[in-house]
Amino acid sequence: MNEEKVSCKDVMSHICESLSEEMDSPKCVAIKDHLENCEGCKSYFTSVEMTIDLYKKCTETFPDDVHKKLMAFLELNDEK
Amino acid sequence: MNEEQLIASAKNGDRKALAELVKNYGQTVYSFAFKVCRDREKAENMMQETFYSMIKSLHQFDGNSKLSTWLYRIVVNHCLMEARKSSRYTFVEQETDDSLFDEKYIADWSTLPIKNLETKELRNILDSAIDKLQPEYRVVFTLRDVEEYSTEETAKMLELSVPAVKSRLHRARAFLRNEITKAFQE
Repeated sequence: MNEEKVSCKDVMSHICESLSEEMDSPKCVAIKDHLENCEGCKSYFTSVEMTIDLYKKCTETFPDDVHKKLMAFLELNDEK
Repeated sequence: MNEEQLIASAKNGDRKALAELVKNYGQTVYSFAFKVCRDREKAENMMQETFYSMIKSLHQFDGNSKLSTWLYRIVVNHCLMEARKSSRYTFVEQETDDSLFDEKYIADWSTLPIKNLETKELRNILDSAIDKLQPEYRVVFTLRDVEEYSTEETAKMLELSVPAVKSRLHRARAFLRNEITKAFQE
């Protein structure tokens, strides 16, 4: 296994990709190892995941009146 | 009728099929526009412009991509045009990795009172953070993380390279995360 050294800053600059990408490169394997032992990075990792989660939950409903206005704007309100 | 049949009928002038397509994608387009514009009125305008463009150009839709992907491309363009009228954004592009990934932002989020916040307060914090993010980064974050499109799909929609999407995404995530941390530390 590659013993490449990474700093916290390295980990943080790559951590976002690690949330959704395969981490099988030597650098990413080293990052994984670092993550398992670094409380600061674990916190950072969790906070980025939470950031994404918060934005996912913060949705906007599609009000009926907005739909009606759209159909009127497109002159499609009589097509049912 | 399935979507392919609806599109074929709409192309042949069937207004009921057209109305059905608009109805099927209204929520998707409005919701995306709102996530990028963070304003109900603007989101409504972007949605209207998007479907107006769809109706005008549907004959050019070749079916090589999903209709949803094609619509995302249109709504992204309208949102970017609208957002560029404003110059209030923090230019994340000019922030160095040293400032974006500064260790001062390694706060333990388990101590942040996120769960105690009223929905409205949390929403204000999220709105304020994303409002400062450049629109080009906001659309990448929204498509990739919120709408869960793959990096490759996002790159195609935005006509960007895969490395460019990855770079924008990780900077957008760090920027938003830091802004939210700052809001709680104030």
